[in-house]
Amino acid sequence: MSKGIIIFAHNNRQIDYIRMSILAAKLANKNLQVPVSLITDPSTIDWMKESNIEKTVTETFDNIIITQRPDDTNNIRNYDDGKYRVHAPFNNGNRCSIWDLTPYTRTLMIDADYLTLTDTLSNYWDIDSDLLVSSKYNDIQGSERIGYLDTHISETGVEMLWATTVMFTKNETTKMFFDLVAHVREKYKMYSDIYRFNPIIFRNDIAFSIARHIMNGYQKIEEPNLPDIFSTIDKDVLVDVNNSRLKFLIAQNNSDDYIATTVSNKDVHVMNKFSIMRNYDRLMELT
Amino acid sequence: MQEQLDKALEFANYRQSFAIQRKTLKEKIDADLTYGVNGGIFKIDRSLLNFVEMLIFKSRKENVVLLDMNENPILIDDLTKFRDEVFDRYFSATFTYLEEYQKIKKARSVETLLEV
Repeated sequence: MSKGIIIFAHNNRQIDYIRMSILAAKLANKNLQVPVSLITDPSTIDWMKESNIEKTVTETFDNIIITQRPDDTNNIRNYDDGKYRVHAPFNNGNRCSIWDLTPYTRTLMIDADYLTLTDTLSNYWDIDSDLLVSSKYNDIQGSERIGYLDTHISETGVEMLWATTVMFTKNETTKMFFDLVAHVREKYKMYSDIYRFNPIIFRNDIAFSIARHIMNGYQKIEEPNLPDIFSTIDKDVLVDVNNSRLKFLIAQNNSDDYIATTVSNKDVHVMNKFSIMRNYDRLMELT
Repeated sequence: MQEQLDKALEFANYRQSFAIQRKTLKEKIDADLTYGVNGGIFKIDRSLLNFVEMLIFKSRKENVVLLDMNENPILIDDLTKFRDEVFDRYFSATFTYLEEYQKIKKARSVETLLEV
């Protein structure tokens, strides 16, 4: 059975996802000891060539899979960088195509802003479960910052899955699952009426949660999951990286008051992508 | 009064940083105490260690079924090897926990906490 990691990277004008994916890939490869492949699009490839990182990309990734850029022109979201805010397209609508695109029989999909700093996920390759998704969001500050909509897709909807890390075996069951995710994406507005969530931005987390709910016969079934997603929000700021310690300023209860803390030897989802890029070189030293 | 208030606020900052560091450390150790084997995933805790040791004491060393974190039955063909592995991981993780915890406990300011 071949094992490998997939990272999606579709650049927008504000965020260089392909450079970020190099970092995520190198960290994942170092700590999980499996190859990493990239799924990207022609315009991101053009940018890669223009910015002279083609050689690094080729050396980092096992395969570079080029697909169509998802049509997410209206999927605009706010990206916070500490106290500052930027609006940019959220090009993430093609995650459901991973089943067709992955070259591996057992695939781990991670976000480009997920920093794999341990081998924890290695424990999950051989778990006897076709599909593993993280079912919980674990905020760095603690439960004070976790709202109901971080754990459920809406006030009356089902529990949220976090598509930041997803592991699956390529078989008929998971094909059905990813086809369902594609269907939910296509009929997103209709499902927003049924599940009562806000459809303004397409979120894979929501599409994955609904697809699993449907697959489970519209019921909650206890099943194995990947570890909780240990996260810093985009209002938090990664300020420094020193001796494998990531120093963060944490927005206390989402306010403009900040608390300092460090993270080391722990996988972390850094939603503030701008602060990853500011500390890129220091983070690369960890690879 | 202002000076006392400033001191209290500074201390409050320290306490919050300390609480986050401690929470993060605990979660890091929890991850280290997770062990995937034979298609199952086990949480290494005192209950597992005791149960495994008891089975070995009762000479049940081969082809034993253990329930994993998800309550799934997992066949362990060599329980002695499994026991040695989980004990190693337990001691390694808890020693790391002790070392790291003492470091953050000794740090008495936000600045020193960030260097731990």
